Amino acid sequence: MSESFEPKIVAFVCTYCTYAGADLAGTSRLKYAPNVRIVRLPCTGRISPMFILKALQKGADSVLVSGCHPGDCHFAAGNYHARRRWTVFRALLAFTGIPEERIRFSWVSAAEGAKFADLINEITEDTKKLGPFTQYQELQKVIETQSSY
Amino acid sequence: MAKIGVFVCHCGENIASMVDTATLVRKISEHPGVEVCTEYKYFCSDPGQETVKRAIRENNLTGVVVAACSPRMHETTFRKACAEAGLNPYMLEMANIREHCSWVHSDKEKATEKAIEITRSLVEKVKRNNDLKPISVPVTRRALVIGGGIAGIQAALDIAGAGREVILVEREPSIGGHMSQLSETFPTLDCSQCILTPRMVEAIQHPNIKVLTYSEVESVDGYIGNFKVKIRKKARYVDINKCTGCGDCIQKCPVKKIPSEFECGLGNRTAIYTPFAQAVPNVPVIDTTRCTYFKNGKCKICQKTCQIENCIDFEMQDTFEEYEIGAIVVATGFQIQDTSLYGEYGYGKYKDVITGLSFERLASASGPTSGKILRPSDGKEPETIVFIQCAGSRDPSKGVKYCSKICCMYTAKHAMLFAHKNHHGRSQIFYMDIRAAGKGYDEFTRRAIEEDGAEYLRGRVSKLYEENGKLIVRGVDSLLGKPVEVAADMVVLATAIVPQPDAKETAKKIGIGYDEYGFYNEAHLKLRPVETATAGIYLCGACQSPKDIPDSVAQASAAAAKVIGLFSREQLEREPVVAGVNDATCAGCQGCIMACPYNAIDVRDINDRNGNLIKQVADVNPGLCQGCGTCVTFCRSNSIDLAGFTEKQIFAEVMAL
Amino acid sequence: MGIQEQYRSEAAALLSSGEVKLVIGFGPGSTADRRRPLFARTPEEAEKLVLDPACISNLTTYLVAGGLLSDGKKVAIFLKPDGIRSLNILVSECQVKPEQVVIFGYAIENNEIRPLSGRSIGDFAEIGSKIRTATPPPAVQKEAERLEAMSPAERFEFWKEQFSKCIKCYACRQACPMCYCRRCIVDVNQPQWVSTSSHTLGNFEWNLVRAFHLAGRCAACGACDRACPVNIPLRLINYRMGKEVKEAFDYHAGESSDQKPVLASFSQDDPETFIL
Repeated sequence: MSESFEPKIVAFVCTYCTYAGADLAGTSRLKYAPNVRIVRLPCTGRISPMFILKALQKGADSVLVSGCHPGDCHFAAGNYHARRRWTVFRALLAFTGIPEERIRFSWVSAAEGAKFADLINEITEDTKKLGPFTQYQELQKVIETQSSY
Repeated sequence: MAKIGVFVCHCGENIASMVDTATLVRKISEHPGVEVCTEYKYFCSDPGQETVKRAIRENNLTGVVVAACSPRMHETTFRKACAEAGLNPYMLEMANIREHCSWVHSDKEKATEKAIEITRSLVEKVKRNNDLKPISVPVTRRALVIGGGIAGIQAALDIAGAGREVILVEREPSIGGHMSQLSETFPTLDCSQCILTPRMVEAIQHPNIKVLTYSEVESVDGYIGNFKVKIRKKARYVDINKCTGCGDCIQKCPVKKIPSEFECGLGNRTAIYTPFAQAVPNVPVIDTTRCTYFKNGKCKICQKTCQIENCIDFEMQDTFEEYEIGAIVVATGFQIQDTSLYGEYGYGKYKDVITGLSFERLASASGPTSGKILRPSDGKEPETIVFIQCAGSRDPSKGVKYCSKICCMYTAKHAMLFAHKNHHGRSQIFYMDIRAAGKGYDEFTRRAIEEDGAEYLRGRVSKLYEENGKLIVRGVDSLLGKPVEVAADMVVLATAIVPQPDAKETAKKIGIGYDEYGFYNEAHLKLRPVETATAGIYLCGACQSPKDIPDSVAQASAAAAKVIGLFSREQLEREPVVAGVNDATCAGCQGCIMACPYNAIDVRDINDRNGNLIKQVADVNPGLCQGCGTCVTFCRSNSIDLAGFTEKQIFAEVMAL
Repeated sequence: MGIQEQYRSEAAALLSSGEVKLVIGFGPGSTADRRRPLFARTPEEAEKLVLDPACISNLTTYLVAGGLLSDGKKVAIFLKPDGIRSLNILVSECQVKPEQVVIFGYAIENNEIRPLSGRSIGDFAEIGSKIRTATPPPAVQKEAERLEAMSPAERFEFWKEQFSKCIKCYACRQACPMCYCRRCIVDVNQPQWVSTSSHTLGNFEWNLVRAFHLAGRCAACGACDRACPVNIPLRLINYRMGKEVKEAFDYHAGESSDQKPVLASFSQDDPETFIL
């Protein structure tokens, strides 16, 4: 891919762990790629698969979903529920040909500012290598009548 | 029409040096619905907040976005400012362009672009925010304290002292916990019973404290201020109201050779027993697993001995009591690790290899040897005692990873007690480090070494075996770099402190979190050390982590202070970030009910005018709901939504990125 | 007396005694080898019931339609094993009270009808548990494996072509017993999660969200697949979801009627190898 490609990464994070972890990256002045846009939710349990699809529609080249480590959920079990949903949703995306490596899942605690920064850098680098994710967005251009059956 | 005010903060240079705020203001001003957009050096300052308030009033703003620091930093500040200007405080969103932008990027152009996108997406969100009102819930001013050790007793006394009712639940027949087993306590060497017993008596006699011994928490429902707690009172077979504590039944009980749990097996008890002489209440219980009557259907000698009619009742059943509770203090304490997993220390194999807790019983004036330190094997007085510290602690491979915290101190104390009781005795202590941080602690260990001749050997023990009546302890003195061998008469292991074996089940029952070991999680290790993540439930003592008596008591008083603070109000205000159900579209699949981590969702019948059931729908109890939104994501028909993070808000936020 | 006759007379008896208010079964279809649902409310109507190897539909769909069971009265229904599993799911999701349903169970084996003994859901525990060892239809499995062997881009092209055919008629939803929502997410327009425009993205969203909603809830009856007027292989995607919950959570949809919904429950030891 060309040097100038700057991927767009949308991150859905819970406010208690990963959002706080990203705050810590800030207060620690850790530098990371400016490609990520964070959407704050109360808990990973609140992160609906539809959010991910909408982010892809809006041109996200990669999506990150992140929350508290197992056992650490502020809401006791929201992340366990989320983990199940992701397992299933991830299989669904893979089966329909939406590359798994574009949808990342992670546990980042409020203490893991460095992990957050590293993660964003890593995803940005990986996404640069993968190139822009236009397949999904461009479905908007495919009109039913064009196909034949 | 939405009239949104956007306030771009420079945060001095913190934001302005990396984000081109002028461009940000220009771009956002052009965004549909943005009525005002201004920048300022410090919006969190008084004049800054005044600017926000004036803008709200002058422009009749319907929503505010402050593009500044993290909402975790100043959301409360600006919510308050909004409220003061007559705008609902939940019509505010914070665009985090500092922690998530200016501080973490070094390309000004890209950082500016990011700041614009962050702010824009929150403008779109705030357009869809709703007026929310804090939820008021009543507070039942009665506390439940689980665990009657020193921590639980202290918390109960403090809460009761503030004039509030307390239910103190202890599962053993007596309150007192581990502290009642101790001989003398560091660093002052005052006798444990002497300082504890008055507290135990004070607790049971306190008009505001109801002590339920031999009782366990069966279930906890509800939420802060409004818990419903069911307690199982186990059958004692002795009527607690009639018994005078004369002890005749204990004297006459024919089953006398039961290893006493309280004496760590160094002494015996009967089948009808009180765990120790100073038990509070001084009312025995019958151990049905050992009692001849319960085993063979014959005996009842205790009942025949008892002078009081119907005091001993073999037909007694477990009973249940329910209480309305406003706050819960969990003080369930600890256990010591089973040290037999260390084959090299010979625990369980050699009678004279004992735990620190057993040593406490030997040293205790009320113990099986009346305070004489004697070998369990032959009752002889030992001349040389080897103490092995970290026998399980700080050992990730076999034991536990953490430091049990109290062992360095009690081992020094043991060496001292031994020196005081046997002037020729030698104490040799294998240690890794001496951790003696605490008031008077280092002085105490120094005293053990300098005045009472405790010999510290830095190193681990590799092998222990018996030879000619001596316990040969082999190890390494890592300071000298040489192997050492000591012929000891007795070996005391500083066993690791571990959570209660059923700590995890208890946590699930109460609804609190625990760590990898089973110690209970505090809401924040540093800033909220006695609160749990569940509102209205507090922690103290060693159920949170290994602790000594001063720490346990301090934490108990802190937990009590939290409870007293909570009880100072008749009503509680809660964040209105809660879920709500759309009755019209709910299909009643009840998945949300199962998914909810707080049991906050219930079934509600919808009836027609004649009272016939039309359908059942989910119903969120706003008092219980903590606002995680797990139910919202579960709901296939989008029939639940979460105030503050509605589907509409998030959709708009994502679509504006 | 053949099975058909036996069930007919039993159904008629249930109706005439007032034990059930309705019998949902099969009647003659538009051609000799097609059957359509028959709703018998009188003993006379019950005499028209047909039971033969052409009775392949999963009739549980009709149990959850239009508040049929809200009056608390009983209904009898003809079900083969996939229907029984669907019923298990519906019971576990509180859509059907087991005591309200009388089951005429049957299986189709070697083009013949075999009766299943029992009349209430509790009698069919074995049918539920058999799902653990059941093998998926070889054709479906083979096609799914063929797809999985493709590169993501090829798979995407495959589904793009399939979904581009979708006319959003929602026949799949109508046919599916699990689509009992009073308001489908696709009909939610505040916000409009699923685009309704006539581009393929909206079709993709619709089919993904439906497959996700069926994860761990599909009894693989194939009703959606048969209903689709443009022949999108919906079975495949549902099969893949079923496989996922089986492998990841040892969850077998419709195994019993007191099963917890897979996405409303969890285990602390759920796999998470993909989480960084």
